[in-house]
Amino acid sequence: MTLDKTKSRILILAIVSTSLTWILNHQLGLGPIVANGLVGVAAAIFMPGALAGIAYTSSFVGMSSLGVLPSVVFALIGGLIAGIVIIATTEIYAGIGGKGGTTAAAAALVTRAISGLLG
Amino acid sequence: MNTLLIILTAVAAGVTTYFIANKLNKGAVLASASVTLASGIAFPHFFPTMGSTLMVVAACASYGGMVSRKNAPTLGDMVMISVIIGMLFTITASSYAGIGGRLGTIAAISCFAWLGVKNSAKAASRARKSDFLSKSVEIWQ
Repeated sequence: MTLDKTKSRILILAIVSTSLTWILNHQLGLGPIVANGLVGVAAAIFMPGALAGIAYTSSFVGMSSLGVLPSVVFALIGGLIAGIVIIATTEIYAGIGGKGGTTAAAAALVTRAISGLLG
Repeated sequence: MNTLLIILTAVAAGVTTYFIANKLNKGAVLASASVTLASGIAFPHFFPTMGSTLMVVAACASYGGMVSRKNAPTLGDMVMISVIIGMLFTITASSYAGIGGRLGTIAAISCFAWLGVKNSAKAASRARKSDFLSKSVEIWQ
């Protein structure tokens, strides 16, 4: 996988979106649903369709509990993994409701495995 | 009673998302995010006991409501997907709790399940038709 400009943007957007959701969810105590809703509405208003979808998908990872993403560092790692999964699965099952959530669940499970390895 | 309330909430959230996304043409992300945000604020306020569960159900159904028009051409399709989401949510309440994306996965499984049911029904109807035609030709011959 070569890292061109578009892919780098997707990775950065995924990392920012996941971390922002995690901060709203855990640091500000808004809870996962409100945090995800806020990030999604902001993304939909300020970004074009495709990028908003990526931000919203990555935001699902940030909804994870502290058992999965114990700190903002792991939220950054989760965002990076979500970005990689999004890039790798762009064409698969497009138009199925919940595809973004499934992508995020895969990223969250990989991140949980990594956080388990790192103790 | 709780299961019925969960299914009704899923139908309301799923249909609202689908309506905003496809009938008002506001896009799937804005539709789902606004329904998720509204349910996250309203449900705990108006339903102090079950609000926390209902807001999660509504968020889950709103992810299902992001389905494209190609896969769910009518509101009836969306209602059926939402009913499956409500039932799956009840069954899988304790599975993978705390994993971000769990709700989206429930939504995706529900969409696939409904598409499967629809395609199977179409295939069965086609098979019945061709069987009827071949029998008619036999009788005629």
